[in-house]
Amino acid sequence: MGNNGKESVIRRGNSALARRSETMERFITPVADIYETADAFVVKLDMPGATKDSISVGVEPGNLTAKGVVGEYHGQNSDLLLGEIGRRSYYREFNLTEGIDHKDVEAEFEDGVLTIRLPKSEKMRTKEIPIK
Amino acid sequence: MFVRFGFPRMFDDLLEDVVVRDFARVAPSFPAIDVAEHESEFVLVAEMPGVKKEDLKITFEDSILTLSGERKPYEIPQDARVLLNEVRVREFTRSVRMPSDIQVEKISAKLENGVLRIVLPKAESARIRNIEIK
Repeated sequence: MGNNGKESVIRRGNSALARRSETMERFITPVADIYETADAFVVKLDMPGATKDSISVGVEPGNLTAKGVVGEYHGQNSDLLLGEIGRRSYYREFNLTEGIDHKDVEAEFEDGVLTIRLPKSEKMRTKEIPIK
Repeated sequence: MFVRFGFPRMFDDLLEDVVVRDFARVAPSFPAIDVAEHESEFVLVAEMPGVKKEDLKITFEDSILTLSGERKPYEIPQDARVLLNEVRVREFTRSVRMPSDIQVEKISAKLENGVLRIVLPKAESARIRNIEIK
Protein backbone atom coordinates (compact mmCIF):
# COMPACT_ATOMS: atom_id res chain seq x y z
CA MET A 1 0.00 0.00 0.00
CA GLY A 2 2.79 2.42 0.90
CA ASN A 3 4.45 2.25 -2.51
CA ASN A 4 1.23 2.77 -4.38
CA GLY A 5 0.46 5.83 -2.36
CA LYS A 6 3.82 7.36 -3.14
CA GLU A 7 3.43 6.68 -6.80
CA SER A 8 0.05 8.34 -7.03
CA VAL A 9 1.32 11.42 -5.26
CA ILE A 10 4.14 11.79 -7.77
CA ARG A 11 1.82 11.28 -10.70
CA ARG A 12 -0.54 13.92 -9.40
CA GLY A 13 2.21 16.47 -9.28
CA ASN A 14 3.22 15.76 -12.87
CA SER A 15 -0.13 15.87 -14.58
CA ALA A 16 -2.50 18.03 -12.63
CA LEU A 17 -4.69 18.58 -15.66
CA ALA A 18 -5.24 14.91 -16.39
CA ARG A 19 -6.05 14.26 -12.81
CA ARG A 20 -8.48 17.12 -12.65
CA SER A 21 -10.71 15.64 -15.32
CA GLU A 22 -10.43 12.30 -13.60
CA THR A 23 -11.57 13.86 -10.35
CA MET A 24 -14.47 15.66 -11.95
CA GLU A 25 -15.89 12.79 -13.91
CA ARG A 26 -15.26 9.53 -12.20
CA PHE A 27 -14.32 10.01 -8.58
CA ILE A 28 -16.68 10.42 -5.70
CA THR A 29 -15.68 11.64 -2.27
CA PRO A 30 -16.17 8.91 0.33
CA VAL A 31 -17.74 9.90 3.66
CA ALA A 32 -15.26 9.94 6.52
CA ASP A 33 -14.90 9.87 10.28
CA ILE A 34 -11.82 11.21 12.03
CA TYR A 35 -10.92 10.93 15.68
CA GLU A 36 -7.90 11.81 17.73
CA THR A 37 -6.42 9.91 20.61
CA ALA A 38 -3.47 10.69 22.85
CA ASP A 39 -1.00 9.16 20.40
CA ALA A 40 -2.64 9.08 16.96
CA PHE A 41 -5.21 10.38 14.49
CA VAL A 42 -7.53 7.78 12.97
CA VAL A 43 -9.31 8.35 9.65
CA LYS A 44 -12.10 6.03 8.49
CA LEU A 45 -13.47 6.16 4.95
CA ASP A 46 -16.40 4.26 3.43
CA MET A 47 -15.16 2.64 0.23
CA PRO A 48 -17.49 -0.28 -0.44
CA GLY A 49 -16.55 -2.42 -3.41
CA ALA A 50 -13.01 -1.09 -3.69
CA THR A 51 -10.59 -3.90 -4.33
CA LYS A 52 -7.79 -4.17 -1.81
CA ASP A 53 -5.14 -3.94 -4.54
CA SER A 54 -6.56 -0.69 -5.89
CA ILE A 55 -6.41 1.19 -2.61
CA SER A 56 -3.61 3.64 -2.16
CA VAL A 57 -2.85 5.90 0.75
CA GLY A 58 -0.44 8.77 0.20
CA VAL A 59 1.16 10.66 3.05
CA GLU A 60 3.39 13.66 2.58
CA PRO A 61 4.04 16.69 4.77
CA GLY A 62 0.74 18.50 5.22
CA ASN A 63 -1.26 16.18 3.01
CA LEU A 64 -3.07 12.82 3.14
CA THR A 65 -4.72 11.19 0.14
CA ALA A 66 -6.81 8.05 -0.08
CA LYS A 67 -7.89 6.44 -3.30
CA GLY A 68 -9.65 3.24 -4.31
CA VAL A 69 -11.20 1.72 -7.43
CA VAL A 70 -14.37 -0.35 -7.51
CA GLY A 71 -14.32 -3.56 -9.51
CA GLU A 72 -16.94 -4.41 -12.13
CA TYR A 73 -20.29 -5.40 -10.59
CA HIS A 74 -22.14 -6.57 -13.69
CA GLY A 75 -20.96 -8.36 -16.79
CA GLN A 76 -21.62 -7.16 -20.30
CA ASN A 77 -24.52 -9.47 -21.05
CA SER A 78 -26.93 -8.02 -18.55
CA ASP A 79 -29.61 -5.34 -18.34
CA LEU A 80 -29.59 -3.02 -15.39
CA LEU A 81 -33.12 -2.97 -13.93
CA LEU A 82 -32.20 -0.83 -10.96
CA GLY A 83 -29.03 1.24 -10.83
CA GLU A 84 -28.39 3.28 -7.72
CA ILE A 85 -24.68 2.63 -7.35
CA GLY A 86 -23.16 3.73 -10.64
CA ARG A 87 -19.79 5.00 -9.46
CA ARG A 88 -16.41 3.50 -9.92
CA SER A 89 -13.74 5.20 -7.80
CA TYR A 90 -13.13 6.99 -4.55
CA TYR A 91 -10.77 9.85 -3.87
CA ARG A 92 -10.32 12.13 -0.90
CA GLU A 93 -7.64 14.45 0.32
CA PHE A 94 -7.05 15.92 3.77
CA ASN A 95 -4.77 18.56 5.17
CA LEU A 96 -2.44 17.03 7.70
CA THR A 97 -1.30 18.72 10.82
CA GLU A 98 2.39 18.80 11.64
CA GLY A 99 3.81 16.21 13.97
CA ILE A 100 2.75 13.02 12.21
CA ASP A 101 5.15 10.13 12.19
CA HIS A 102 5.02 9.53 8.42
CA LYS A 103 6.88 6.27 8.28
CA ASP A 104 4.61 4.58 10.80
CA VAL A 105 1.29 5.29 9.12
CA GLU A 106 -0.84 2.14 8.94
CA ALA A 107 -3.81 1.35 6.71
CA GLU A 108 -6.34 -1.46 6.88
CA PHE A 109 -9.35 -2.32 4.71
CA GLU A 110 -12.21 -4.29 6.20
CA ASP A 111 -15.91 -4.59 5.31
CA GLY A 112 -15.50 -1.82 2.75
CA VAL A 113 -14.10 0.62 5.30
CA LEU A 114 -10.55 1.97 4.97
CA THR A 115 -8.96 2.81 8.31
CA ILE A 116 -5.80 4.91 8.33
CA ARG A 117 -3.87 5.33 11.56
CA LEU A 118 -1.51 8.30 11.72
CA PRO A 119 0.69 8.12 14.81
CA LYS A 120 1.72 11.38 16.40
CA SER A 121 5.41 12.07 16.71
CA GLU A 122 6.79 11.84 20.21
CA LYS A 123 6.58 15.54 20.97
CA MET A 124 2.93 15.79 19.84
CA ARG A 125 1.65 13.11 22.17
CA THR A 126 -0.49 14.00 25.10
CA LYS A 127 1.32 13.26 28.31
CA GLU A 128 -0.25 13.09 31.66
CA ILE A 129 1.64 15.09 34.26
CA PRO A 130 1.57 13.46 37.64
CA ILE A 131 0.65 15.79 40.49
CA LYS A 132 2.97 15.52 43.39
CA MET B 1 -14.63 31.12 -9.69
CA PHE B 2 -14.90 29.03 -12.83
CA VAL B 3 -12.72 31.23 -15.01
CA ARG B 4 -10.70 28.89 -17.15
CA PHE B 5 -7.78 31.05 -18.16
CA GLY B 6 -5.08 33.00 -16.44
CA PHE B 7 -3.63 30.80 -13.74
CA PRO B 8 -3.78 27.20 -14.83
CA ARG B 9 -1.81 25.70 -11.99
CA MET B 10 -3.48 27.75 -9.33
CA PHE B 11 -6.84 26.89 -10.75
CA ASP B 12 -6.04 23.22 -10.57
CA ASP B 13 -5.18 23.56 -6.93
CA LEU B 14 -8.28 25.56 -6.17
CA LEU B 15 -10.56 23.21 -8.00
CA GLU B 16 -9.08 20.26 -6.26
CA ASP B 17 -9.96 21.78 -2.94
CA VAL B 18 -13.51 22.54 -3.96
CA VAL B 19 -14.13 19.12 -5.40
CA VAL B 20 -12.70 17.34 -2.44
CA ARG B 21 -14.40 19.29 0.31
CA ASP B 22 -17.88 19.90 -1.05
CA PHE B 23 -18.87 16.66 -2.62
CA ALA B 24 -18.89 14.43 0.42
CA ARG B 25 -22.37 13.04 0.73
CA VAL B 26 -24.39 10.36 2.37
CA ALA B 27 -26.27 8.03 0.03
CA PRO B 28 -29.99 8.86 0.19
CA SER B 29 -30.98 5.26 0.73
CA PHE B 30 -28.91 2.70 2.52
CA PRO B 31 -27.86 0.36 1.13
CA ALA B 32 -27.64 1.59 -2.48
CA ILE B 33 -28.79 -1.24 -4.76
CA ASP B 34 -28.21 -2.39 -8.33
CA VAL B 35 -30.26 -5.17 -9.89
CA ALA B 36 -29.06 -6.66 -13.17
CA GLU B 37 -30.87 -9.21 -15.29
CA HIS B 38 -28.85 -11.90 -16.98
CA GLU B 39 -30.12 -14.63 -19.27
CA SER B 40 -30.71 -17.14 -16.51
CA GLU B 41 -30.50 -15.15 -13.31
CA PHE B 42 -30.87 -11.82 -11.56
CA VAL B 43 -27.95 -10.35 -9.66
CA LEU B 44 -28.56 -7.87 -6.87
CA VAL B 45 -25.64 -5.82 -5.59
CA ALA B 46 -25.97 -3.73 -2.44
CA GLU B 47 -23.29 -1.50 -0.96
CA MET B 48 -23.22 -1.65 2.82
CA PRO B 49 -19.85 -0.59 4.21
CA GLY B 50 -19.21 -1.48 7.82
CA VAL B 51 -21.97 -4.09 7.99
CA LYS B 52 -20.96 -7.49 9.37
CA LYS B 53 -22.40 -10.75 8.08
CA GLU B 54 -23.97 -11.51 11.45
CA ASP B 55 -25.81 -8.18 11.47
CA LEU B 56 -27.52 -8.77 8.13
CA LYS B 57 -30.69 -10.75 7.35
CA ILE B 58 -31.92 -11.68 3.88
CA THR B 59 -35.42 -13.03 3.28
CA PHE B 60 -37.33 -13.94 0.15
CA GLU B 61 -41.08 -14.17 0.21
CA ASP B 62 -43.70 -13.89 -2.49
CA SER B 63 -41.21 -12.54 -5.11
CA ILE B 64 -39.96 -9.92 -2.68
CA LEU B 65 -36.36 -9.93 -1.52
CA THR B 66 -35.77 -8.07 1.71
CA LEU B 67 -32.46 -6.97 3.21
CA SER B 68 -32.52 -5.86 6.78
CA GLY B 69 -29.74 -5.24 9.21
CA GLU B 70 -27.72 -2.79 11.13
CA ARG B 71 -24.50 -0.92 10.71
CA LYS B 72 -23.09 -0.94 14.20
CA PRO B 73 -20.67 1.65 15.54
CA TYR B 74 -17.01 0.69 15.55
CA GLU B 75 -15.03 0.71 18.74
CA ILE B 76 -13.39 3.95 19.68
CA PRO B 77 -11.04 4.50 22.63
CA GLN B 78 -12.56 6.26 25.61
CA ASP B 79 -10.18 9.20 25.53
CA ALA B 80 -10.75 9.86 21.81
CA ARG B 81 -11.90 13.22 20.51
CA VAL B 82 -14.14 13.13 17.42
CA LEU B 83 -12.97 15.61 14.78
CA LEU B 84 -15.23 14.64 11.88
CA ASN B 85 -18.34 12.47 11.80
CA GLU B 86 -19.98 11.90 8.42
CA VAL B 87 -20.51 8.16 8.66
CA ARG B 88 -23.98 7.22 9.82
CA VAL B 89 -24.61 4.10 11.81
CA ARG B 90 -28.13 2.86 11.41
CA GLU B 91 -30.64 0.11 11.03
CA PHE B 92 -31.97 -0.48 7.56
CA THR B 93 -34.60 -2.42 5.63
CA ARG B 94 -34.96 -2.47 1.87
CA SER B 95 -37.14 -4.64 -0.33
CA VAL B 96 -36.99 -5.37 -4.04
CA ARG B 97 -39.67 -7.19 -6.02
CA MET B 98 -38.24 -9.64 -8.53
CA PRO B 99 -39.91 -9.34 -11.94
CA SER B 100 -40.19 -13.07 -12.62
CA ASP B 101 -40.22 -16.42 -10.87
CA ILE B 102 -37.10 -17.39 -8.95
CA GLN B 103 -35.72 -20.78 -7.93
CA VAL B 104 -35.86 -19.89 -4.29
CA GLU B 105 -33.77 -22.80 -3.03
CA LYS B 106 -30.90 -21.78 -5.34
CA ILE B 107 -30.54 -18.18 -4.18
CA SER B 108 -27.00 -17.49 -2.97
CA ALA B 109 -25.47 -14.49 -1.21
CA LYS B 110 -21.96 -13.26 -0.48
CA LEU B 111 -20.79 -10.26 1.54
CA GLU B 112 -17.33 -9.00 0.64
CA ASN B 113 -15.55 -5.63 0.97
CA GLY B 114 -18.79 -4.03 2.11
CA VAL B 115 -20.69 -5.26 -0.93
CA LEU B 116 -23.50 -7.81 -0.80
CA ARG B 117 -24.01 -9.83 -3.94
CA ILE B 118 -27.11 -12.02 -4.30
CA VAL B 119 -27.61 -14.34 -7.26
CA LEU B 120 -31.24 -15.30 -7.92
CA PRO B 121 -31.57 -17.97 -10.63
CA LYS B 122 -34.71 -17.65 -12.74
CA ALA B 123 -37.26 -20.42 -12.68
CA GLU B 124 -37.33 -22.50 -15.86
CA SER B 125 -40.68 -21.01 -16.80
CA ALA B 126 -39.28 -17.49 -16.68
CA ARG B 127 -36.36 -18.01 -19.05
CA ILE B 128 -36.55 -16.78 -22.59
CA ARG B 129 -36.39 -19.64 -25.01
CA ASN B 130 -36.10 -19.65 -28.74
CA ILE B 131 -38.68 -21.95 -30.22
CA GLU B 132 -37.48 -23.90 -33.15
CA ILE B 133 -39.80 -23.75 -36.18
CA LYS B 134 -40.25 -27.05 -37.85
